[in-house]
Amino acid sequence: MSQPVSRPLAGPLPVSEDTTTPPETTRRVFGSIRAGGASSPGGRTATRASARRRELAAAATLMTPFYVLLVTVFLIPVGTAVWLSFFGDDQPGLGFGPERTVFVGLRSYAAVLTDPTFLGSLGTVVLYCVVYIPLMVIGALALALLLDSGVVRLRSWAQLGLFLPHAVPGIIAALIWLYLYTPGISPVIELFAKADITIDFLGVHTVLPSIVNIALWSNLGYNMVIFYAALQAVPREVIEASVVDGAGPVRTALQVKTPLVSSSIVMVAMFTLIFALQLFTEPVLLSQSSPMINARFSPSMYIYDAAFTRNNYGLAAAASVILLILTVALSYGVTRWTNRANSAEEAAR
Amino acid sequence: MPGRQSRRSVLATIAALPLAGALSACSGGGGSSSTSKTSTTSRKATHITFWSALRGSQEVVDAFNKTHDRVQVDYQQVPSGTQGGYVKLSNAARAGNAPDVATIEYPQVPAYAIDGVARDITGLLSDRLRARLLPQALGLTTFEKRVFSVPLDIEPMVMHYRKDLFRRYGLDVPRTWEEFEETAETVRREGAGRRLALFPTDGFTQFAAYSWQAGAQWFDTAGGAWNVSLADAPTRKVAAYWQRLVDRRLVHMNAVESTQADAQIANGLVLTRLSGAWDAGAQMNARPGQKGQWSIAPLPQWDPARPAVGTHGGSTFAVTKDSKHPEAAMEFIEWQVSHPDALRARLSSGASSQYPAAPELVDIGREAFDRSYYGGQDIYTLFEQEAHKVRDGWIWGPRSSATQKVMQDNFARASGGQGSLLDAVREAQKGTMPDLRALGLATTEHST
Repeated sequence: MSQPVSRPLAGPLPVSEDTTTPPETTRRVFGSIRAGGASSPGGRTATRASARRRELAAAATLMTPFYVLLVTVFLIPVGTAVWLSFFGDDQPGLGFGPERTVFVGLRSYAAVLTDPTFLGSLGTVVLYCVVYIPLMVIGALALALLLDSGVVRLRSWAQLGLFLPHAVPGIIAALIWLYLYTPGISPVIELFAKADITIDFLGVHTVLPSIVNIALWSNLGYNMVIFYAALQAVPREVIEASVVDGAGPVRTALQVKTPLVSSSIVMVAMFTLIFALQLFTEPVLLSQSSPMINARFSPSMYIYDAAFTRNNYGLAAAASVILLILTVALSYGVTRWTNRANSAEEAAR
Repeated sequence: MPGRQSRRSVLATIAALPLAGALSACSGGGGSSSTSKTSTTSRKATHITFWSALRGSQEVVDAFNKTHDRVQVDYQQVPSGTQGGYVKLSNAARAGNAPDVATIEYPQVPAYAIDGVARDITGLLSDRLRARLLPQALGLTTFEKRVFSVPLDIEPMVMHYRKDLFRRYGLDVPRTWEEFEETAETVRREGAGRRLALFPTDGFTQFAAYSWQAGAQWFDTAGGAWNVSLADAPTRKVAAYWQRLVDRRLVHMNAVESTQADAQIANGLVLTRLSGAWDAGAQMNARPGQKGQWSIAPLPQWDPARPAVGTHGGSTFAVTKDSKHPEAAMEFIEWQVSHPDALRARLSSGASSQYPAAPELVDIGREAFDRSYYGGQDIYTLFEQEAHKVRDGWIWGPRSSATQKVMQDNFARASGGQGSLLDAVREAQKGTMPDLRALGLATTEHST
């Protein structure tokens, strides 16, 4: 962590955007494979075809683990979930007859979508996203801009301090906060009580902000690092130019730096959205102390409850598929919308 | 450039999506399980496996294995149903290795019958055993004239009360719910923080018992369909009654399975416990220091001329679909629920006040039960009277765990001032129906 040294280097480097790094790396890897193939011993006798074969073999070797994992831990489970959501072990009438597996069409989906508890859990998670995502993006960006502007002394320490909570596993974080939130054992509540303020972190209206707080604490530092890295790539000439033009530090940060890291903002917002939709660990743990968090508080908790306490796999699978589709659709929507906004901006220029 | 980025982002998005279904992988075996092989005899014996969370099961199995050569039982202690026992059983059944004999509480019997875990044992049930069991008990495990499990005990709800504190405040034992409310007023007025009773926010089974007593019929199978009406007139009466007690702060309202409730009982802050007959023994174990302070009375009635009660607790034994020796499993079950040695063995494990579903065994229980804790009161005679008042015709729903969770979640909300008890009942119905529909059951819904 030697910021003052890395700073002058970062400036003149011809890096356009942080997100272009992965394909360049890939190209380099493949390039070296190709180079290796051409200069291999016995290159005289080796035909083009065998070189190509070797190249393919190398590519296959390198790619196989990814596809094996993709198929076993993603495609097969998704396929199973889709299958479970369309088939059921049915018996006519009261259900005590012999079972037979039949295609039930959209029955499970209809049941999920007419279930007020599922719709309620969706409402909860939407509210959570509305509160959490703006706070997260704005907070992380503001911290990154502060660090980047050099206002903060002891920059590396500040970074470490902000990033450290991310190293704490989610379940441990929830346990720590559960301790701080639970009346009777929490030193925080006790402190407030001494000042004659009664505060219930797990009440009807406070439980969602309490969960947002845990998530912010865990992930703020991580997203700040992403923004900070993106800000490092902003060409120094641009900033110097803005300073020469008379922009103050605040204006530089908001109107020069921020637009230049907009792609990172979109990325952070999208990943935050995806993780927010899967809200599970924090409410499950807090539910042990708060009756305000029920077993179907979030969609993921609904799915868990449907599968394991109600033993209703068709319902759980249908809810999973609905959550999956919602997540993909929302992510796609965010990407499309920002792309259109970007190209509109470029066109305007 | 934007195009490529967008595609990559979407791919990244898809790759990052964890599948909620993947959760299902990680909830397999809960709790440590100790298999105990007590068999010492012949190799030719048929071995069957038995899962239970009931206290004294090891003693019962030992007694069985000692007296039987042809059938030997391998007992495995499992966590109690809501603590993971039911999840374990469901998962084992899905994997095709459920035990031969499983312990299922009454409210869960229809669910396991519908899921095909509990086998139809109508043909295996001997007439002798059928005649020995209390018809109200067997009725709870019989659907469409087919029997899916065998009752071990039936637990009429009774009123456990603090004799000493009743005397101190000059209270009479309330016979009706009206008197109960008046008594609650007196306790609140004079009792310095004490209350007559607790309305448990985790009390689905208690609330069901109150409704059952009042004449409710939450589930009905007439016409070959599950007719659901949780908020029927008797239930509304019960909900309004308890709501009034809660609103007037005549009762405590918190979870009963909690340290708070333990403290309330231990410190004499609550004067009665409304629960099944089994709770007499549980109380002896949990609080030996309160010896001589408790007594047991019948549950207050709505109409003393036509007395009725519901049950609270009680277990049944089912032969599972995976059993390779259903006859042997049935032989063990029959012995367990109807043989005097079985009850003696179970009671030998410590204090139990289980009320057997086979009335012939009541005398055994009466003899084996140590009366000193209850100041010599003959509680088995009381239980016997109450057991005959269990209102016939109650049917548990096909997904009690769903109904229970939603109702209790909303009871808890009601205790926080969000909604009423009746709202909780209505929410429970709304939260149950999608489950039944997703299972493909024929349903009708009645609510007012």
